[in-house]
Amino acid sequence: MSLIELRSISKTYKSAGLDVEVLKDISLRIEEGEYVSIIGPSGAGKSTLMTIMGCLGLPTKGTYILDGEEVERVSDRELSRIRNEKIGFVFQAFHLLPGVKAIDNVMMPLLYSRKVPKDARQRAEAVLDKIGLGHRMTHTPGQLSGGEQQRVTIARSLINNPKIILADEPTGNLDSKNGVEIMKTFDRLNREEGTTIILITHDREVARHAKRILTIKDGEIESDQWNENFQKSQTGPARSGAE
Amino acid sequence: MRIFRNLKQALRGVALNKGNTFLMTLGIIVGIGSLTVIVAIGEGTKAKVLDRIANLGFGPDSFSVYAGSGRLFFRSGGRTTSLTLEDVDDIRALPTVRLVIPRQRKRMRIIYKKEFTTTRVYGVTPEWQIARNWDITDGIFFSDRHMERKRRVIVLGSTPAKKLFGDKDPIDKMIRVGNVFFRVIGLLEEKGLTESGYDPDDRSLIPLTTSMSRLTHQTYLHSAKVMVMNPSLVENTMEDIRQILRENHNLSPLADDDFRYVTPEGIMQWVTESAQAMNRMLILISTVSLLVGGIVIMNILLVSIRERVHEIGIRRCFGARRSDITQQFLFESVFVSLLGGILGTLIGLTLSIIFQRFDILPTKITWEPFALAFVFSTVIGLVFGIQPARKAAMLSPEEALR
Ligand SMILES: Nc1ncnc2c1ncn2[C@@H]1O[C@H](COP(=O)(O)OP(=O)(O)OP(=O)(O)O)[C@@H](O)[C@H]1O
Ligand SMILES: [Mg+2]
Repeated sequence: MSLIELRSISKTYKSAGLDVEVLKDISLRIEEGEYVSIIGPSGAGKSTLMTIMGCLGLPTKGTYILDGEEVERVSDRELSRIRNEKIGFVFQAFHLLPGVKAIDNVMMPLLYSRKVPKDARQRAEAVLDKIGLGHRMTHTPGQLSGGEQQRVTIARSLINNPKIILADEPTGNLDSKNGVEIMKTFDRLNREEGTTIILITHDREVARHAKRILTIKDGEIESDQWNENFQKSQTGPARSGAE
Repeated sequence: MRIFRNLKQALRGVALNKGNTFLMTLGIIVGIGSLTVIVAIGEGTKAKVLDRIANLGFGPDSFSVYAGSGRLFFRSGGRTTSLTLEDVDDIRALPTVRLVIPRQRKRMRIIYKKEFTTTRVYGVTPEWQIARNWDITDGIFFSDRHMERKRRVIVLGSTPAKKLFGDKDPIDKMIRVGNVFFRVIGLLEEKGLTESGYDPDDRSLIPLTTSMSRLTHQTYLHSAKVMVMNPSLVENTMEDIRQILRENHNLSPLADDDFRYVTPEGIMQWVTESAQAMNRMLILISTVSLLVGGIVIMNILLVSIRERVHEIGIRRCFGARRSDITQQFLFESVFVSLLGGILGTLIGLTLSIIFQRFDILPTKITWEPFALAFVFSTVIGLVFGIQPARKAAMLSPEEALR
């Protein structure tokens, strides 16, 4: 059983009375522990695909099965729990709570957790420290640069030890040094903890960190390939790849 | 506990959205503030009247008959020249009546050398002192002999005595009341100002006969105080007196009484009635203002939710349930409303104290407005917060994040 399974997913948005089909009949499986990057031109539907995989909205057509559960049949309450426990989001537009300190933004998902680990604050501080924001913990998003905000969103996605990380352009606003740090974090999570990582990016260099590269164009999967250039240093989990 | 976490988030929301919080509290502040003031004025007025009653010197066995139709102290026109000494004699003849003190009353200027003041001058019989049980600190009260001979003697209350004589001994001094000279023969014991500022010592007493011939130049009485043998006889005696007076005054069966009773119960009843009328008005005013306050809260919350869909979306993405969002916004609305309630109460209290201090209106501070403010603002927060809160919760994360 795949961790993520999309069966003939379509997503249509209505805008100004016109139906715009953003995703067209997409079928896709991702196994637990995989490291997938999604590339494609702007407007191809990458972020839309992420909202569906993250249970933030339902597809117009098709079936989405996450960890054995058909999302359409799951109650909103249960979906909230799934998002809270299983998924860590990194959004292209950051989506930080305005006016709230970095450390509290990072810890926000814990407000909605059933069990809050005792060392939550230390963990949040450690993560922020690790990504170079130790000195910015009490700053609010408005007081942080784009790159710093991006790093806060990454720290937030990690706080609940999710099974899946859905990251939309996580390095888009970072300089190469910080970008490399972030990618190292993802690589390590995938390698050591077996976290499934789904990475949306424009940057071929970044995409190369993944073992599998998915290309989306006009709402369709254009290609789904193994990454031949997969870095030697990376030794992934035993099984990987699509069936 | 999840609910406490949502509560904390709500507090933070209230603190973060200061502009909206301020606007929302405004309506409630006005509503609760006016409620507090109105209640304080109502209580103050009531206290003042009750205080007056206590100082009228009524025991449970006494009441007064006043000349002229109407109710209590309020004469509804008609003759005030209805009550006579013959009436008083007839009342005194009733077996249930212990004492009757006929009374004339006039506000007069009294003068001693260069000092002068205005005071209430009462013409009464010597029994007055027994009936009121009011001690004489210096000199004597006038006697039946003074009455018979229409003597120009006067007993001063402590207020006019101080005004005219200061620390000096007033006994046997001659003072002028209007154009007539009186000899001061006694000094009433000082009672002191009452809580509501009424001065029972601002009075002077002269024999009724002297009052009739020298001051009012008429024999009609202002009122008569009646004391019965025991309190249970009050009702019946009042009815008996009514028969006597109607007969004496030749009133046809259809005519209204040309006299009226003042009893402690009557005053109490009147106070209660006016308090009820006041309460009705109070309820109307505060309901309207609180309703307006509630609608203001609801609208601003709806607007604020439009501004904050993004925040809602973010929370939903990371695991907030619909109920978490509802709770957070409901708490926010209750907090804001309570905050308005607290501020409103404080402002209302301040105004009430100012009114009292500067003698604008009598007010009295009781615990009721606090309880009312608390209950009202919580209810308003809940009632007007629920719709915006649910609306916020119904958005899907995808929609909210757009
Ligand atoms: N809520 C919406 N209503 C209408 N159209 C939408 C909506 N969301 C997305 N779209 C459209 O769907 C298309 C795909 O959008 P999406 O954000 O998925 O692209 P993307 O691949 O992430 O692009 P980029 O690389 O620029 O982030 C775009 O043309 C966009 O205008
Ligand atoms: Mg995108």
